Amino acid sequence: MTPAADAGKGTHYVPLALITLSIGVLLMVPLFVESTYLLHMMILIFINVIIGSAWNILGGYTGQYSVGHAAYFGVGAYTTMILLQYRQIAPWYGIWAGAVVALMTALIIGSICFRLRGSYFVLASIAVAEIFRVSALNLKAITNGAEGILITEIPPLTIGGTLITDWESKIPFYYTGLIFALVSITVSWLVLRSKLGYCFQAIREDQDAAHSLGINPTLYKNAALAISAIFTALAGGLYGAYVGFIDPSTVLGLEKSIQIVVVCIIGGVGTIFGPVLGAALLVPLSEALRSNVITDLLIKAGLVRAESPVGVFLKENLAHAHVLIYGILVVIVILFMPEGVLGFFRKMATRRGSRGSGVGGRRKGKDLAVTSDSEPSTHDPKPATLDSHPATPNSDPRPPTPDSRG
Amino acid sequence: MAILEINHVSRYFGGLAANWDVSFEVPEGTIVGLIGPNGAGKTTLFNCITGYYRPSKGEIVFQGRRMNGLKPDKVCKLGMARTWQKVRPLTNLSVLDNAVVGALCRTNSVREAREIAHEQLRVVHLDGRAGLRAGALPIGERKRLELARVLATKPRLLLIDEAMGGLNAAESEEIIRLILEIKDQGLTQIVIEHDMKAIMRLSDRIVVLNSGEKLAEGTPQEIVANPQVIEAYLGVEQ
Repeated sequence: MTPAADAGKGTHYVPLALITLSIGVLLMVPLFVESTYLLHMMILIFINVIIGSAWNILGGYTGQYSVGHAAYFGVGAYTTMILLQYRQIAPWYGIWAGAVVALMTALIIGSICFRLRGSYFVLASIAVAEIFRVSALNLKAITNGAEGILITEIPPLTIGGTLITDWESKIPFYYTGLIFALVSITVSWLVLRSKLGYCFQAIREDQDAAHSLGINPTLYKNAALAISAIFTALAGGLYGAYVGFIDPSTVLGLEKSIQIVVVCIIGGVGTIFGPVLGAALLVPLSEALRSNVITDLLIKAGLVRAESPVGVFLKENLAHAHVLIYGILVVIVILFMPEGVLGFFRKMATRRGSRGSGVGGRRKGKDLAVTSDSEPSTHDPKPATLDSHPATPNSDPRPPTPDSRG
Repeated sequence: MAILEINHVSRYFGGLAANWDVSFEVPEGTIVGLIGPNGAGKTTLFNCITGYYRPSKGEIVFQGRRMNGLKPDKVCKLGMARTWQKVRPLTNLSVLDNAVVGALCRTNSVREAREIAHEQLRVVHLDGRAGLRAGALPIGERKRLELARVLATKPRLLLIDEAMGGLNAAESEEIIRLILEIKDQGLTQIVIEHDMKAIMRLSDRIVVLNSGEKLAEGTPQEIVANPQVIEAYLGVEQ
């Protein structure tokens, strides 16, 4: 093994240590945190990490921008809740049934929709999710229509007679969410490093070229959708059981589909930790806007007096505009950080690294090479992935020559 | 022995015959040059052979097996690989990973694929570029990357569609050397090329297409002496 490869291996310990540390902290949180609101927020973040990572496998790696993932989220949620409501099957089992149903749904939808490419696929995915939403509204006998399904209690989970949890507090949901989130991140990491990951990305980059290299696009796109749908459904089932109430518009609406995409776009499409970052940013943001933090801040800062007409108006109305503000912020991020927050920070780090001349080190030079922005075409949010292999020799730290002819 | 037989292949687009009753054979271990004026149907024929189009009539037989209707991925797995007239790098993947994708055609192990990929990058002298983004390569290197990528699929027959288009003399020379080197390793090739000097050097036999039909076939010397070919390329003397 070359010294360069050894050095590459050494740098891998840092993120590993960081990951272990953060998992440790996350495991301890419920032991020290009393605030149910914080736990609630964390659970929502976990759920968003799961759906973000799941969508990322299809949208980020494979390049198939599905704006209909609410279909799988809803299928997971409805299956779990219906089984609990009408068959008294605990969510602990129902959630897996939800994943299986979503998988089968995905295979059917995929075999139809993947005949379409690009924006046509996007439109088809929206249409499919709408079919599910309208069906859920109208199949009142099964789904209870627009009234939705409300559950009041969840059967306790026992293993071999010992009570594990009665699902009374938020803590069991916290740990379930954490485990599912960790599993979904691990799966997306494993996928990226396997043959699947290469095939997915080849299809994203150029489907015809991938096809000529022995990759069956239909097969691999369906595989990506299948993995994606399973995790989205698990998140849906968890959401249903946690919140205790679902209706067609919250779990099957277009808003849900868009939210799933936005988590990835904000964080960074096609990267493992992009969806994690996206969820960690968006959930608190949307919660804060909903509880009118902006008005409170303005009042506290002394810019607006609480009793003044403006203060009263803001207090009464700004919370209703939370979706509007959220939307504006999302647009701003997309405009100024087209590669997502993660991509943005990476680029900043790279720039700083290259400014620090040759001492910047091997690793930075390589980042510059692989994610460099020397071409206008790199403005689409597809970062180079699979780049951190320790075995990749990089004897050429020069920045790439811009190609004027391509 | 012929590794590829093209028997009376026609391909229509609506009423237009892009290929009309084309037949020829590709003997194993040789390079067959495919030439013809623009719009003669060379790339259409490539697309028919590699499964992107289904021939409207006729059949394509590769290593004794009828290929009509097989999809491109199956065609590649059976040992026939192609490059593209307009290069199609997997832009946001590294140079190495581009070749890895090709190598994964024959193996499920990423580790093994990476070894094959490194090997093929050395063949085309791109090993120093392995960590770069493929989209950052200049055109000459992209063409070579495309060669490395298809070679990594371990083909028995390679179809090269204008590997020298847009290259300068030195870059073209390098491609010619590569194609001959690949031939020496026993790989059969069909080469589409506009550069007549290059095609004369490369080909053992040349097939000339004109308006979708086969106009002539023979050794390079026979082709340059063929009055029909001269007429198709230069027009008739009044």
